[in-house]
Amino acid sequence: MKKPRTCVLRTDGINCDEETFYAFEKAGAECRMVHVNQLRRGEERLSTYQILALPGGFSYGDDVHSGKILAVELTSFLREQLLEFVNAGKLVLGICNGFQVLVRTGLLPYRNLGEIKAALISNDSGHFECRWVNLVVERSHCVFTRGMEGAVIHAQVAHGEGKFYTDPATMQEIENRGQVAFRYAAAGGMPSMDYPDNPNGSLNAVAGICDSTGRIMGMMPHPERYVEKTQHPDWRRMPCADAAPHGLVIFKNAVAYIRQT
Amino acid sequence: MINEVRVIGKTGITDGKGEDILYEINHALGIKSVEKIKTARVFRLEGISEVDAVRLAEKLLAESVFQSYTVNGPLIEDAAVVLEVAYKPGVMNPEAASLIKSAADLGITGLVAADSSWEYGFYGDKITGKDINRIVNSLLVNATVEYVVRKSPETLVINGTPGLTEIIPVRQMNDHELDELSRDKLFLNLEEMKVIQDYFKGIRRDPTDCEIETIAQTWSEHCGHKTFRAKLMVDGKEKKPLLERLKDATEECKNPLVLSAFEDNSGVMQFYAGMAVCGKVETHNSPSAIEPYGGAMTGSGGVFRDIAGTGLGAKVLASTDIFCFAPPDTATEDIPPGCLHPHYLLRRVVAGVRDYGNRMGIPTNNGSVHFNRDFRAKPSVIVGAYGILPAAVCRKGSPSAGDKVVALGGSTGRDGIHGATFSSGEMTDRTMEVNSSAVQIGHPIEEKRMFDAILAARDEGLIRAITDCGAGGFSSAVGEMGSETGARIALDRVPLKYPGLSPWEILLSESQERMVMAVAPENVERLLAICRNYNVDATVLGDFTSDRRFTATFQNRTVLDLEMDFLHHGLPQRVMKAAWNKPVFQEPESTTAGNWTDLFSRVLGHLNVCSKEPIVRLYDHGVQGTCALPPFTGINGHGPNDAVVLAPIRGSSYGMVVSHGLNPVLNVIDPYYGSLWAATEAVSNAVASGANPREMVLIDNFIWPFPDEELLGALDLAVDACVDFVRATSMPFISGKDSLSSTYRAKDGTVIKIPPVLCVSAFGRIPDVSRTVSTDFKEKDSLIVMVGYRNIVEMAGSVYYDLLGAVGNNLPKINLNRLMQVLEAVYGAVSSGKLLACHDISEGGLAAALSEMCFGGGTGARVRIPGGEQTENFLFNETAGCFLAEIPSGTDPFKVFREVPVTVIGKTTGENSIMVEKSGKVLCKLDLKVLKKSWQQPMKEVFH
Repeated sequence: MKKPRTCVLRTDGINCDEETFYAFEKAGAECRMVHVNQLRRGEERLSTYQILALPGGFSYGDDVHSGKILAVELTSFLREQLLEFVNAGKLVLGICNGFQVLVRTGLLPYRNLGEIKAALISNDSGHFECRWVNLVVERSHCVFTRGMEGAVIHAQVAHGEGKFYTDPATMQEIENRGQVAFRYAAAGGMPSMDYPDNPNGSLNAVAGICDSTGRIMGMMPHPERYVEKTQHPDWRRMPCADAAPHGLVIFKNAVAYIRQT
Repeated sequence: MINEVRVIGKTGITDGKGEDILYEINHALGIKSVEKIKTARVFRLEGISEVDAVRLAEKLLAESVFQSYTVNGPLIEDAAVVLEVAYKPGVMNPEAASLIKSAADLGITGLVAADSSWEYGFYGDKITGKDINRIVNSLLVNATVEYVVRKSPETLVINGTPGLTEIIPVRQMNDHELDELSRDKLFLNLEEMKVIQDYFKGIRRDPTDCEIETIAQTWSEHCGHKTFRAKLMVDGKEKKPLLERLKDATEECKNPLVLSAFEDNSGVMQFYAGMAVCGKVETHNSPSAIEPYGGAMTGSGGVFRDIAGTGLGAKVLASTDIFCFAPPDTATEDIPPGCLHPHYLLRRVVAGVRDYGNRMGIPTNNGSVHFNRDFRAKPSVIVGAYGILPAAVCRKGSPSAGDKVVALGGSTGRDGIHGATFSSGEMTDRTMEVNSSAVQIGHPIEEKRMFDAILAARDEGLIRAITDCGAGGFSSAVGEMGSETGARIALDRVPLKYPGLSPWEILLSESQERMVMAVAPENVERLLAICRNYNVDATVLGDFTSDRRFTATFQNRTVLDLEMDFLHHGLPQRVMKAAWNKPVFQEPESTTAGNWTDLFSRVLGHLNVCSKEPIVRLYDHGVQGTCALPPFTGINGHGPNDAVVLAPIRGSSYGMVVSHGLNPVLNVIDPYYGSLWAATEAVSNAVASGANPREMVLIDNFIWPFPDEELLGALDLAVDACVDFVRATSMPFISGKDSLSSTYRAKDGTVIKIPPVLCVSAFGRIPDVSRTVSTDFKEKDSLIVMVGYRNIVEMAGSVYYDLLGAVGNNLPKINLNRLMQVLEAVYGAVSSGKLLACHDISEGGLAAALSEMCFGGGTGARVRIPGGEQTENFLFNETAGCFLAEIPSGTDPFKVFREVPVTVIGKTTGENSIMVEKSGKVLCKLDLKVLKKSWQQPMKEVFH
């Protein structure tokens, strides 16, 4: 079967590139590490790929705002390539810093390059935090979560600026259009506004959203850190049947979608 | 002209930073007059028009979704007090480069300089000037690197012309003048100064400042390890130098897994699948004592570079952080002049480790914090790093004559000048003023992209040799790398952060995030291209030669010309006397307990036992996705583990275990047994998690007060303990570091010696990470057993004794003859899947270990004190090398552990309590909710 070609974008301070690369490859994709400079110089073109992955990290140190400097770079230099890519029905996944970048380019929530309609702002706690959380998978257009709707999955968050924030009208619209992909939840799956179940104070407990086509998704938690059983902190406590790594499903969905189209 | 943009969160946006500071003001400083704090960012932009500044505000600096801004106007207007805190001019603000880059990306040209800072608005009618002063001095501003901006700067551009190279007339100096020259600057003793004088008399000229500085840093305690290489006279008898003893012990045990010991920037051990793993642990006490945030950052950055500079380049896998502080609630008047408060130090050191490791994408997943009053003059900040590299390139490279000297990474500024000599000197109340240039703010992103480039270059075979540019800067990195060949560099090629550096400053600067490589001439172009792709500056500084001289030029004039032989072998070996006398400590008056719930709570709430989870959560311990046993597991992630287990090769189950051990109090009572305890604790932590004691190696860190005869005697015993440990277990030390300057001397003559610390770190390999255990109890009705040898009357130095107000004298004496037998039995039990959980017993004793296993498991326990055992000693003895294990009901524990002593102490239960029985009677039933709260409370208060 043909392997979907995946571009794992790197630049200064991106640091979850290798595990994202591995997660996609494990799910059946063929990945390539691409530095943003290679795109700027024209050595690489987005059009040769079917999936664009923006991994986590601290791009350019998260200076000014998390993901901001990279977002400005992408919208300044790769505008046409990005538009062509998303309009061609291809997939974009932003994890953690990648989600912050997608929101700051305007690709999320409305696929409007340069129009910033939401933000990921400082956690209510005021500091970085790393812990495992429960996510409830929402019913949405999202192609990355197909077949997972209603499930409660485990993922690690590791961020200082992860509070999803927008104005009430936009929030309502995102909800109405079914663009919320994941919410922070209590163990039973009830969306939660309480710390630490909701680790950052995100509005409506939003942990990840997609655009209206469901082909662009961003999420703060790290699914790429749970593609092997032993990556879960409590794999020793789990019955074997429960031990299918939750994060892997998201990458497999992406691969399956490209294969079908 | 400078435009100022101020940015603030809109109404309704939580100001987490402001709330955090307010909490600190209310709780740590006890100031109640401040009711609210608003924080805003200030950006200064030089060289662009106001119109462009507005554009930058719109497109980059402020996001209208949640922020508002002003350009060249005030922002917080209704506060009682508004003040701005910025980095001092010359302190590198990592954000400045991003501002300039992003402005260029947006098509805004002409931005020649930029800066960013924070503005604070304080609200409250009763705020006094005194309150603000205290807030500024103890919370907001570290005067070493920051200042309160009273008047906006007129320019952000730093100008300067380099000073001339001076000639130091050492040949004519008398002893007093030589002493003066050394004091506060060179930190050499008179004998060493005279050797330098004689050398220059011999070559019939006086040295340049470059030369004398280069010699001083090469011969510093920090780089030269003079004490560890000294000939020792112990109680009148000559003994081999300390370092030689450690190295000999390692060689004697002929462990085939050791690939590189004590010769490279880290120690290297064979891993699996053609890979090797390496480890290095560094101390960064002196810089952290005066600027804890920058000090901890540069400590992390330095030890990461040690890994990256191992062999021909390694990838950093993990970092560890181990700290010793005075208690965070120490009264301000107890803090010696010139020293910072431990509450502030602790928070800022943690923030430094957090910001460096997290941004680099290096998981910090093993560590500990120890508290003792005697650390009030100087903390111990220990940072470790571990890496992986192909075994084929794991040996230290050596340059060939004709190779190019290539500098990589950050630019050079006045940062850290005299860092090597400074960390070798004692701390005094003058340290803060004299040595303020010795610290800087780290730039983890610079280091991260440099590492990305190094690994790419290594994989293309472009690197002949590589080393970190740390203490002593280029003088040390190039001087050492070229010691067998010779090296010649042109100092004016070095990229500078700002103009005006004198040649000696360029040579000695300890600016972070720089490395030096030897690259064959034919590979230089390709290397430079790789570096360009990763936005890394790479500069050819000169050549490795064959003249065995270290030469440097500046504007075509020779400013340094030294024989490598004199530089590296001219330092006379010291002869030092050592004699240790066993001190006598007070014994507790009575050792029986009263209220058990209260006692358990106090033991669990003791600073050396309490949960450090709030610190761990600030670190990204999951990045890289390699963690198979994280620091905390179990119900709600509250159960602490003994070691970290990594699966560094993705898709394979090969595992690496990392752990450590130290106990400052025991080292004070008896350096020999205290050190044995530290080593035993380190390996027990690893073995409890499933490490194979036959496939493990060690790293030593001796953090000692300035060694007088007595303390050198203690050091001698500590090294003997290490050597005996190696001989008994065949676990070799393969890397180490000594830092012998933990003494504080005040103007009035007061001397504070911090407790001598031996920190032993251990790392090893296991074939399958799924054959490891965590500490959390898994089931109810399992058997709880204690494994190992202990003599429970050995209670000195325990947390229990500390709570009784005593230290005691009879400390745990590890029996080396039996230790391996216990470790192998535990490893056998874990690796064959016979244990459900296992926890090593350390501070707080069996009681603490048992409670932690319950917290993690969400279970209770019912245990009995065996007949004839003294209850308190049984519960609170801290002998290392003993373990608590959970065995499924129905399994015979004596078959699991065979000839090793096993005591069945009870069972796990479904209740939320620990029930302790003795002689058939219930001694106490302890509510685990109460215990857990006591255990979690102390660090929650510091890291809210």
